[in-house]
Amino acid sequence: MMNIEIKALIAALLISGTVVGAFLGTARMVQSNPSMPSGKSAGQSSAIEGPKVAAGAKLFALNCAHCHGIDATGDEGPDLHKVAKTDERIKSTILNGVKGEMPAFAKKLTADDAATLVTFIRSLSAK
Amino acid sequence: MALATNFFDAGFWDRVHGGSTHLPIALALTSALLDGIGSIAPSGKVREGFRFSGYFTLLLAALGAVPAVISGLMLTKWDAVGSGVTLLHHYFVWPSFGLLIALVAWRSIVRHRTSRIGFSIYLIAILTTAVLISIAGFWGGEMVLNR
Repeated sequence: MMNIEIKALIAALLISGTVVGAFLGTARMVQSNPSMPSGKSAGQSSAIEGPKVAAGAKLFALNCAHCHGIDATGDEGPDLHKVAKTDERIKSTILNGVKGEMPAFAKKLTADDAATLVTFIRSLSAK
Repeated sequence: MALATNFFDAGFWDRVHGGSTHLPIALALTSALLDGIGSIAPSGKVREGFRFSGYFTLLLAALGAVPAVISGLMLTKWDAVGSGVTLLHHYFVWPSFGLLIALVAWRSIVRHRTSRIGFSIYLIAILTTAVLISIAGFWGGEMVLNR
């Protein structure tokens, strides 16, 4: 009786490892291949020029697109194409949030991440 | 074409992920509960009934976990790790998903040919899976609330 259970355990671990490994492997492959759809990230990337803007687009897709829209034209949050604020002010808003309107990202993003996001946001108005 | 592009935007996968994740969480908890009851049920027939229901709900949980994981990966643009709360969410998602697949595979192979010790170990594993998947769901909820 135990024999079949141990054999089944080995098979189950192999199946599970294969399934989870396939998902993680695919994710890693898609992540490392900028020509695949996910590499474009937010804003459909037509304005992406340079690695910092691309990195900003990725951060935007993961953290901001929920509220500002996938193309940054606004949803629950405002349109970010023509932001009339200084870079420092935008960084501060990202990190500290706006009470009752926007959450603070200081625990999730570094100052460098915020600067990268500013670069991406500025690239939107340069379209 | 524009409609097709917008249809699969982050908002779409956000909604699909939010909807599809509840099924495997609820079913994993139900499966653990049914098997738990089945293990203490006195009659052989009642016990078998609970165990079959436990297996069936586990199977549905595993099947339901696949679209939940795929929609989550689409949502994060295939970032399987992330940072902050997303990272915490993923710390629990991947082990619970792996356990869920392993348990359904084990149960499908062994079927009714389980020893008392084997099924006791299985019960501990399904309870662990149910707890892990619930914690993953908690951090997923935190992501939604902290937006």
